[in-house]
Amino acid sequence: MIQTPILKPGPRQDGPHPDHAAAGRPQPSAPVVRIENLVKRYGAYVALHEIGFELKSGEVVAIIGPSGSGKSTLLRCVNQLEQPDGGCITVAGQRFEGGKEHSRAALDTLRRTVGMVFQSFNLFPHMTILRNVSIAQERVAGRSRKDAEDRAMHLLARVGLADKAGQYPARCSGGQQQRIAIARALALDPQIMLFDEPTSALDPELGLEVLAVMRELAESGMTMIVVTHEMRFAENVSDRVVVMADGRVIEEGPSRELMRDPKTERTQRFLHAVRDR
Amino acid sequence: MSEILEFWGEWLPTLLDGLLVSLKVTAASLALGIPLGLVLALAVKAKSAPLRIAALIAVEIGRGTPALVLLQFTYFGLASTGLTLSSYAAAVAALAACTGAYTSEIIRAGLEAVPQGQSEAAIAIGFSRMDQLRYVVLPQGLRIAVPPLLGFSILIFQSTSLCYAIALPELMSQAYSVGSNTFRYMPILILAGLLFAAICIPATLLVSRLEHRLDRHTR
Amino acid sequence: MEALTQLARGVPWTIALTLTSFLLGALLGLGLCALRLSSSRVLRALATGAVLLLRSVPPVVWLFIIFFGIGFGYVQLPSFLAAMLGLALITAANMAEIYRGALSGVHRGQTEAAIALGLSPRHRFQDIVGPQMIRIALPSAATFAIGLLKDTSVASLIGVQDVAFQVNALAQRSFSGTGIFVIAALLYIALSLPIAALARWTDLRLRAKVAR
Repeated sequence: MIQTPILKPGPRQDGPHPDHAAAGRPQPSAPVVRIENLVKRYGAYVALHEIGFELKSGEVVAIIGPSGSGKSTLLRCVNQLEQPDGGCITVAGQRFEGGKEHSRAALDTLRRTVGMVFQSFNLFPHMTILRNVSIAQERVAGRSRKDAEDRAMHLLARVGLADKAGQYPARCSGGQQQRIAIARALALDPQIMLFDEPTSALDPELGLEVLAVMRELAESGMTMIVVTHEMRFAENVSDRVVVMADGRVIEEGPSRELMRDPKTERTQRFLHAVRDR
Repeated sequence: MSEILEFWGEWLPTLLDGLLVSLKVTAASLALGIPLGLVLALAVKAKSAPLRIAALIAVEIGRGTPALVLLQFTYFGLASTGLTLSSYAAAVAALAACTGAYTSEIIRAGLEAVPQGQSEAAIAIGFSRMDQLRYVVLPQGLRIAVPPLLGFSILIFQSTSLCYAIALPELMSQAYSVGSNTFRYMPILILAGLLFAAICIPATLLVSRLEHRLDRHTR
Repeated sequence: MEALTQLARGVPWTIALTLTSFLLGALLGLGLCALRLSSSRVLRALATGAVLLLRSVPPVVWLFIIFFGIGFGYVQLPSFLAAMLGLALITAANMAEIYRGALSGVHRGQTEAAIALGLSPRHRFQDIVGPQMIRIALPSAATFAIGLLKDTSVASLIGVQDVAFQVNALAQRSFSGTGIFVIAALLYIALSLPIAALARWTDLRLRAKVAR
């Protein structure tokens, strides 16, 4: 059992799970997520106006922008927690057109391909931490209880919480809960991980331990979309930054370049405001 | 179908007589029972221990005993001690006791929902304990208790149907006696059920609307 | 003394009626709650109407409709079965409301996390939402069950020989006095104690684990 709390750097050094090897990762240059003209409305209110961007395998994209700009809505559209009204999202070669019903099979595949981490953790309070990480493996991937628990222990060790396996989430700090949530999302060997403001509900020092796990995950080659208010994470860990405001992408580019030298006045204002805090 | 309507038309006045008795018993039970509930609620919070314990026992027995057994007690039980009540008086006595026990809990919860700061403010401006209660705590606490009290009133109206057991000529007894005279239980019992529903359904909807309204105001 | 043994003879009937009608009603209530939340507007309206109607007509009336109404000329059910059916229907309506309230108390994020993990609708309910719903519903369900225990006394009016039936029989024989009523009241309170204790014990056990 690996007991190091820190993920090993380097692409996929932790050893791919059999499921994963079979899935066959897309070509390095091919986009693994492509979002085209995405539209989401709530009644008359338009939350997303024809959003589009692409994500290559192994890439880490940070989405930043003022609250209410549609960042979380966009993220939730990627795994169809919200159904878009128009446009198209392609995930690992699977097309999901907005405004259409999707088959159970298509959604099942999508959710095994995409893992998600929520702002409020959403751990299952009535299950032990081990069970939180093993349940989907049994129910969704059809693994045996033993295989699922072995894998769960391995993942908990990766996030440095193997010793908590038998406890209930309420006994853990917020930072620990979020690291467990990351382990839970990794349990189905997703190709892509979505993070919806993973540190916003945490005290700064607890946020750091979560960010450390995320950084290691990024370095291990995971494809990630991270909605965040952590400007340092956006600048130093992500490869690219997408800036959203009022349901539109107003700027995107390589992280360092964009964060140090934003082109649009709107981005400059936003960065100025958050850095002032 | 038209035959049933004719049957209903024929016996509706009899059932309406019964309904009137049910409503009268409900009104009398609430008129006696809710003040009793207020007294019990205050007694349960009283400083004197014997008073508190006595009130607590009364409330627990009143709430723990089926209303039907209370009715049998006031009608048959008291009669065996020589205190013979009419079925009407026995019904009101039993349901008022039941109302007192239940509403004391509702009122107590209402009083306890008044923020501590209100009493403190009342003390700070020099109110006596009595004035505190009268001008500050009761008006606010009773207002909070209004929706559950109304909800409880609907239940008391429904439980007047139990007075069938003590031969009070309320709605249920009337329906049953029509049934046993005509041997047509089904249609007359359904009509009785409809009459209960015709009063309780709108009342329930009104109470839940009131609850929502007050909920929004207090948030 | 003779009165006490006669009263005791009613206890098994009261317990049996409370247990069976509660279990059946709690199960039916689950279905009724599902209908109330169904996506079909017609089913939703029907279920809402059924809940309102079941709760608005007094238990005695339901029991009489089933025992005398259906019994006279249709199917004559034994009095215990008729009482159980009637009380189970009323329980179903009340439990449906309790479940519905409890469901809205389960955080939305729980369902979202379950969806994001790819759990099927069945497993979302069975593994994630259901257990949390039951935990929240428990105190209200216990309160209702204690109310039901007292409502079973109504069954004595159609001939079920429960505690209230025995009280009535004793009271009609004038020698009994008022003592028998006090004993009956204490008996009902005593019977409700295990329900309250069970609910508190389960609640504490679950709370210790979940600590919400």
